[in-house]
Amino acid sequence: MSDATASVPRKDWTTRLLLLPGVIWMMLFLITPILMIVYVSFWTQTTFNISPDPTLDSWKQFFSSTTYVGSLWTTIRIWLIVLATTFIVGYPTALFVGLLVKSKTLSTVLLVICVIPFWTSFLIRVLAWRPMLGKEGAINIILQKFGIIQQPIEVLLFTELSVIIGMTQIYCVFMVGPIAFMLARIDRNIIEAARDLGAGFGRIFWKIILPLSLPGVVVGAIFVSVMVLGEFATSGALSGRKVNLLGNIIVTQVGSLKWAMASVVGVILTVVMGIVIAGFLRIVDLKREL
Amino acid sequence: METAVFRLEGVTKRYGDLVALDDVTLDVRVNEYVSFLGPSGSGKTTLLRVIAGFETPDSGRVFFEGRDITHVPSHERAIGFVFQNFALFPHLTVIKNVGFGLTYGKKPLPNAEVDKRAREVIAMVGLAGMEDRGVDQISGGQRQRVALARTLAMQPKLVLLDEPLGALDANLRGRMRNELRAIRERLGVTFLHVTGSENEALAMGDRVVVLDRGRIIQTGAADDVYSAPASPDVAHFLNRFNLFDGTLAGGNFSGPFGTVPVAAARKSDRDVYAVRYDRMRVMPASAAAHGPTLKATFVASEYLGSSIMNFFETGDGRVVEMEHHLSLGAPDIYEAKQDYLLTWNPDQAIVFGREAR
Repeated sequence: MSDATASVPRKDWTTRLLLLPGVIWMMLFLITPILMIVYVSFWTQTTFNISPDPTLDSWKQFFSSTTYVGSLWTTIRIWLIVLATTFIVGYPTALFVGLLVKSKTLSTVLLVICVIPFWTSFLIRVLAWRPMLGKEGAINIILQKFGIIQQPIEVLLFTELSVIIGMTQIYCVFMVGPIAFMLARIDRNIIEAARDLGAGFGRIFWKIILPLSLPGVVVGAIFVSVMVLGEFATSGALSGRKVNLLGNIIVTQVGSLKWAMASVVGVILTVVMGIVIAGFLRIVDLKREL
Repeated sequence: METAVFRLEGVTKRYGDLVALDDVTLDVRVNEYVSFLGPSGSGKTTLLRVIAGFETPDSGRVFFEGRDITHVPSHERAIGFVFQNFALFPHLTVIKNVGFGLTYGKKPLPNAEVDKRAREVIAMVGLAGMEDRGVDQISGGQRQRVALARTLAMQPKLVLLDEPLGALDANLRGRMRNELRAIRERLGVTFLHVTGSENEALAMGDRVVVLDRGRIIQTGAADDVYSAPASPDVAHFLNRFNLFDGTLAGGNFSGPFGTVPVAAARKSDRDVYAVRYDRMRVMPASAAAHGPTLKATFVASEYLGSSIMNFFETGDGRVVEMEHHLSLGAPDIYEAKQDYLLTWNPDQAIVFGREAR
């Protein structure tokens, strides 16, 4: 009896002790920095100095500048386009790797092949698109050799298109992985049962396969969204500075020691990501599905 | 012949070097319940998958209602299949599962009609009131009924059951057995039932088909198969016989129990002497016995409710089982590690031999 009552607080203590390292880590490196960013966004910025006097100047400046607000919309536009392209390219790939390939070994090998580009550094993967897409790049040379085009296609590089191509290639695998994982978990008997009940491939796909893989789509979409929304390197390297995302603005503001403005953009970016993730999580109850 | 709803003709299926089905020929009549019995790997599931159209045979033909359906895709066959693991659609409710084929199948029905028919079938399998539950919120036995209802909703002429009772506990299995039989009698559907359990095969089937290594080794009414297995293998799968190897020569069988005269023997490629568990008699080691006798040590007994299984071990380490039906009186108590004499009436033994008369 006394043992039972004594063990309750002890259990409580163990739980707290186990939580402690994680809580300390998150406080130091997540919560505090975020609060700091929010705080700094209200500081007073002068050309060469920054002081903690509270002001809304930076916020006003952001929302009154067409450049800044424009970059917010550019970020959202590119994010939506890349989300769509990674899904369009990624889902059929995942369908093949996760469901149509019957051998587990082969499907693992295929997934590893998808990941191989990641063995090189991020910047090299981005910069490698330049000799591909450039005016005298691989694609233009090949198309000209075959006589398909007479003049090199110039919109391929240093445009929004090149940024989208680059991001789609880099982030596609984050869409493929979770979807392929969910698809591989579908019991093949379920699909055969649907076929036995007379459903054709289209019906089986829309009514069985897609709904069952939806948690994978949501996880993939969250991965892609978080990475694309925070992007600056791909847009910097492939757009010739013509495409300015919120990430690029933070980089330039920090570079010119404009901490308050960088913080404002940081807060806005964090809020946008929060809304996006919350929205995706509403679609599927991940705790139940995974 | 015109009553044969379903016919297999020389169906053969190979997976690489493995022959899963070897020249299988079978006729099934309307409103018949056929049980396929065989050990795992005997090809029974492959046979069902060939019939359902999930696999195409390498050679041979499949006929259904007089039509050659060998190359007809599964969704155009109108043959119902109940999966071993039920294969319910996990994201749909009970009624959506049952109505799936009616809504998205070959001949989609209007929603009201789907709803009506789905509710009827759900009520028939005894799940009324559970229509809107998710399939992960119901028990194993209820899931099995949903699987059955989903198949029956399509009103198939032929339903294939792949060890459908295997996933249930013994109690539910007995009840489902009765319900399946009642449903079949009401709907006039032909059932093909694959099972690894001899009890299930004998209890359910009008006819039992015994499979081994891709071949049909015996077909017959349940009691015929039980009382007259066609080969030592069938006797083995029925799990009701003590089998002794020996030699059959000149009308006598010589085995570990001595040499006994044999009245009749069945042709087989090896000499085997089979005695049903419940034909065995136990005597004290000191008793003077006539006919076949086998000295064995008592190991243990197992209480089965209506009978007791006694396990004995012979000198060469083989286990001999003896079943005592409790309706015949209270069981004798045997002492562990004590020697006894086992005997039986030689007229009740079933003998297989190369030298069958």
